[in-house]
This record gives sequence, structure tokens and C-alpha cells, in this order.
Amino acid sequence: MTTTAESTTTGSGLTSEQRAKQASRRLHRSEHRWALAFVAAPIVGFLLFTLYPICFAVYTSLTSWNGLGPKTFVGLDNYVTLFGDEYFRISMYNTFFYMIGIPIGLALSLLLALALNRKIVGRTTFRTIYYVPVISSLAAIAIVWQFAYNGDFGLINQVLAWFGIDGPDWLQNTATVKPAIIIMAIWKGLGYSMLLYLAAIQGVPASLHEAAALDGANSFQRLRNITLPMVRPVTFFLVVTNIIAGSQIFTEINIMTPNGGPEFSSASIVWYIVRKAFKYQQVGYATAMAVVLGVLVFVITLIQFRLNRRNSFSID
Amino acid sequence: MKRNRLIASAACAAIAGALTLTACSGGDSDSNGDSNADKEITFMFRGGPDEKAAYETAIAKYTADTGVKVKVIVTDADQYATKLQAAVAGNNVPDVFYIEQASLQSYVSSGVLMDITDEVAASGIDLDNIWPYGVDSYRFDGTLQGTPDGALYGLPKDVGPFSFGYNKTMLEAAGIPLPDPEIPLSWDDFVDISKQLTTDTDGDGAIDQWGTGLNVQWNLQSMVWSNGGDWTNEDRTKVTVDTPEFAEALQQFADLTNVDKVTPSASDAATLDTYQRWMAGEIGFFPVGPWDVSTYNKLDFDYDLIPWPALSTGQSATWIGSLGIGVSETTKYPEDAVKLVTYLSADPAAQETLVAAGVQIPNLIDMAETWAAKPDSTPANNQEFLDIVQDYGRAMPAAFTYGAEWYDELWTNIQPVLDGKQTAADYLAEEQPKMQALLDESNGTAEQAAAGS
Repeated sequence: MTTTAESTTTGSGLTSEQRAKQASRRLHRSEHRWALAFVAAPIVGFLLFTLYPICFAVYTSLTSWNGLGPKTFVGLDNYVTLFGDEYFRISMYNTFFYMIGIPIGLALSLLLALALNRKIVGRTTFRTIYYVPVISSLAAIAIVWQFAYNGDFGLINQVLAWFGIDGPDWLQNTATVKPAIIIMAIWKGLGYSMLLYLAAIQGVPASLHEAAALDGANSFQRLRNITLPMVRPVTFFLVVTNIIAGSQIFTEINIMTPNGGPEFSSASIVWYIVRKAFKYQQVGYATAMAVVLGVLVFVITLIQFRLNRRNSFSID
Repeated sequence: MKRNRLIASAACAAIAGALTLTACSGGDSDSNGDSNADKEITFMFRGGPDEKAAYETAIAKYTADTGVKVKVIVTDADQYATKLQAAVAGNNVPDVFYIEQASLQSYVSSGVLMDITDEVAASGIDLDNIWPYGVDSYRFDGTLQGTPDGALYGLPKDVGPFSFGYNKTMLEAAGIPLPDPEIPLSWDDFVDISKQLTTDTDGDGAIDQWGTGLNVQWNLQSMVWSNGGDWTNEDRTKVTVDTPEFAEALQQFADLTNVDKVTPSASDAATLDTYQRWMAGEIGFFPVGPWDVSTYNKLDFDYDLIPWPALSTGQSATWIGSLGIGVSETTKYPEDAVKLVTYLSADPAAQETLVAAGVQIPNLIDMAETWAAKPDSTPANNQEFLDIVQDYGRAMPAAFTYGAEWYDELWTNIQPVLDGKQTAADYLAEEQPKMQALLDESNGTAEQAAAGS
């Protein structure tokens, strides 16, 4: 390296041992600097783009602010209002209602992964088909599904009509709008979960299956006692990420039901936050809701990690 | 070593660059000379090709007259508000921009909009020749907006009288005498004619032609006002939707569908909205705004304007929309920016382009009168638009309050009333306290903002 060469020429009055020491110190120093530079990048990023916005948000949530002018400090007023706000309650309820789709989606994607793990004809084609929604734009998908859900001309009701079922006007009906959005969300997320499950299933050591088969376990027992426990980390990962993503559901709601659905029946919490902040310019109040949502997601995730630790085990 | 240093300093520069980027406000560097050729002002607006073409005319003329260049930013209608808010948050407000009536107060009290009273007076345009409603909409005296004495914060981009029309071809075919263009139909007559028009024209057993098909969010105002009701009291402090007049009007609106059965049913309307059905010639009576004229003139049937049907007071009523053009408080060239506003709002050539495109009525009163008096115009009775602006049109209930949340609340849960599952009176009694709370909140914010600025 150039450093060593330079130090030998400059440090001419020293013993070779001292020279070597000095050289290595220099080398270390310069490497330390590099190390610090590399460490600094994410830390500066974290401070600037995570910690600072969080502090800013917490402070903003204690103010009355229209997003334009100066903030007025109002203490905990926003939080007090929030607990009496009927629409906050409804949109929270709706948001959790949408999460019904998570276990359904996971079960379906596990089934699909098991099916597509077998040597069936057109396996790659099927895998691709199920993965296409994942890489498609959510906005485009929401618009297409909006057409599909149309009361009279929609694809869904046309198919139902073949079986003599008179389908509802999905997105205009308080009883069907949430299930309609859940169905769409499951369809959209299926491919991603399937892919992870597929990888996990293929990672299960064949020796375990062989040993169990020798002991007389049938295929269902092998699924229950070997495959399922072995893919549990993936299930855990998917549950955590799905809940975090699910609590922020917004785009499909905003496109498919721009007014929050009939009688506010499809409005999610993030949709309500956006509306308060950018339509009614109540940025302080909206931020308070966002802080509550953030804390809630944090607590739920913490609980999940605790539960998971209790259930986890490892094989050596 | 040298190479390493070079890389290190490059990395530092990159990081520093990234940091300064976030702090950069994007402001233009100061121009040195005073000559107008160096000046450039930004104008941000939303709109379609017609507006764009009209403003290009006005801007070209402005640049020719003053030498000041104009940078134009056009956005989609639904992106405009977000984009403007982002510009404000980033301290990079366009010099001249569109402003909605309902957000004027928050922009004024936040110090975003400039008081342009003096500059407009100095620019030499004749304010008396622009619709008073349009100008006064952008006046604000610190407490009330829309009064003739407040300071001026913008000029109208347009005034939009929301008028009422009928399908002339359909009425003639049904042998119904055409309604008088001067005297409003009584509500009973209106319902009566609508009943006659609601039929199954092709005999397949399903109704395919309806008397009318109205939208509660845009048409209830006319009915409530004409019935002597209103959303709030005079000084916009008390919500008055729980009055019998208001309830009766809303009930009659719902009855059009549920009792009189002269509109497409909710599911018919969800399939193909009444706007599309009107354009397909399936609907007898339908609202017409100036922005609809270019579209409606291309339809297969003839239509004309009439006063809105009158309820118990016997008087027509409707609303006038408006959008304004304001100037940023932080503009470097206040006089030039205000001058541009006057060109956009009141330049005769630009106005003619917009009117010819069929998207608005002239802002200039003398020009509007000549326009309405032209004998062979379509719709024939476009004088009705001017009558609305001059005589019986009003501002939207939430146009001059601090934000419109209290007003939107009414629509959120209204569907059961429209479906006939709840009476109007019950619903309004439930809604009044909720709306009142939101209005109190918005008035409180307004006071707080006024005190803070």
C-alpha cells in the first residue's frame, strides 16, 4: 500500500521496529477514519430522517397547526379531542377490521406454496401468475378492482349472475365495502407470502422428512409436525410485517372510495389522518393521531416479539 | 495516500451536498439588474387545455407589455392543493397562484397571501367592471370574508353561477309546454312535469327516461335557500340545519327518488351517474354550470336554461362558485405579480378565449352583457347565468368560513335519508350538534390565527 511506502521514506531516523509500529498505527488511524465515515452515514441518516422527524412530529402533535403558519402550543388538547372523536374510533375499527385478511391471506399463501412446491406441470407459470399482482402498481390495481366491483357492469357481479346470485353494489354498501377491500388486499399480497413460504419449505431438511417417514408418519403428520414448525419464523415475519403494513392501509381506500365509503364505512386511520391534515389543514391534530397509531403499532409488535420468544425453539 | 484523500474529500463533498440539498429552499438567486428582462415570476394553477390556452394569450401579452417573464406551472385538479401546501412548507411559494375561497383565511392569517389592495388600485384596472361577488369573495377584514370593505387578497379567476337546464327536445317530444325562462317553476309543477317525463320509452318494462336526477351535495343548497332555510346564521356562528325549512327541503329532495319516483334509483344512479344519463338524453331537468357549456353544446339534443324551481318562498336560489388568483407575500416583485393577476383576471383577450372555449362566463361585466345579448348563442337563455351572478346567486355555505369540515359533515352520513330509511328531520336533529361543534372549532381556530398574525 502507498501508506507504508511513504512512511518508510519520511521516518528515516527510526528503528525498523518503531517504523513498523508507526506505520501500523497510521494504517489503523486511516482505517478508523474510514470505518467512522461508513458508520456515520447510517447514523446521520437516522438522526436526520428518523429521529428528527419523530421529535418534530411529537412536538407538532402538541400544537394547533394548519401546516402553513406558526404553531400554537396546546398541550395535550389534541389527544383529549381524539378520544372523543367518533370518526377516529370508526376509522380505527375499520383499520383493524381489514386485518381479518391477514390470517386468511397467510393460510391461502401457505396452501399455494405447498401446492406449487410439488412437481406439477406449469409450476413456474403458476408461480409467475401469483406473483404478478405483487409487482403491479397498487393504484392501477385499485382502479381495475373498482371496475370489477361495479354494481351492474362489474366483472364480479357478472360472474355471480351466472350462478343466479344478484351481487350487491360492493363499494356503495356499508356491509360489503370492507370485505371487498379485504378480498382485493389478499389477492394483492398472496404472491409475496407464497414466495417466502416456498423458500422456507424448500429449506426444510429432507432428512427430517425421511426420518419421520421411516417412523411411520403420514404426509399430514409430517406437514403438521415438521413443515409447519420449520416455517414458523417466516410466519412470524409475515404476521409482523403484514400488521405494520395493514395499519397503514391507504392507497386502495383513497382510490376505490374517495369519500371514505358510505357512512365512513371504509375509511382507514391513515386515510382519516391524510384527510384531516391535507383537506382540513389540521396538521397538529392529524399528527397526534399518527403518533397514537405509531405507538400502537410499536406496542403490538413488541407483544408479538415477546410471544414469539416464548414459542420459539431450535434444533441443533 | 493522495488518491485516498481524494476519495475521502469526494465522499465528504457528496455528504455535504446531500445535506445542503435538504436545506435548500430552491429560491432563485438574486438578479443583479433592475431591468425587467431579468425578472421572472412563477404562476401556478390547475386546469385543462382551455385554461392553459387562454392564459398563454394573457401571459404573452403581459410579457410583451412589461418585459417580465412568466414561468407557468400547471397541475392536475386533485394535486393542486397538496402541491401548493408543499410549496408553502418549503418556503418556495409561487409568486402568483390559484386560491380557493374556503382556504383564503388560513392563507392570509399564515402570512402566505399578500394584501394587494393598493397595487390593484395602482394598476389602473376598473374593479367596478368585475363582478362584485367575484371581487368581494377575496376580501377579508380580519373577521369576516366576503364583505365589500375588507382588504383585497386576490382577484377572481372566474365566477361560476350554477344554473338549471332542461332537455328541450325531450319536453317537446312529450308535448309539454316549455317552462318560462323568466318565472321559476313552482315545486309542484316541477314534480308534475318530472312525473310525466318519467316513462319507459322503448316498452321493455324498465323505465329508461326520468324527470330529473340531482346530487344532494350540489343541488340541496338551491332547495334549502328557496325554502327559506340556510346552513348558518348571518355571522356564521350558529349552524341552523335543524330548522323546519331546512328539513322540509331535504325531505322533498329525498322524496323525489322515494315518493315521487322521478329520478333514477340509487342503484341505477350508481351504475351510470345522472350526469352521464343527462348527456345520453335520458333526463329532463339537470343543473348547468358555465364550465359545462362546451360539453353540453355538443350533445344530440337541444337544451336551455331556466331559473331554479322555487319552493315555499317562491324565489329561485342557487350558488355561485369562484376560484381566485392571489399573490405570495414573499414575492420579490410584488407590483409585477399583481399586474399579472390583473391580466389573468381581467384581460379582455384572455376572457374572450375562455368564454369562446365554453368554460366560463366573462369576468368583465360589460363584456358579459354583450355576450349574453348575442341573439344566436347556445344556450339561448344564457342571460340566466348573469341573473344568478347579479341577483339571486349566493356563496356556498362554507365558502367564507375557516375550512369546510363542518359543512362536509352533513354529507358523510346522509345516505339513509336519501334511501328513505330515515326522515330528514331526525337526521338533521342528530347532525346539528356535530356540525355546530366543528363550526365552533373552525371559528376558534380562525380567531386564534387572527390573534397570532
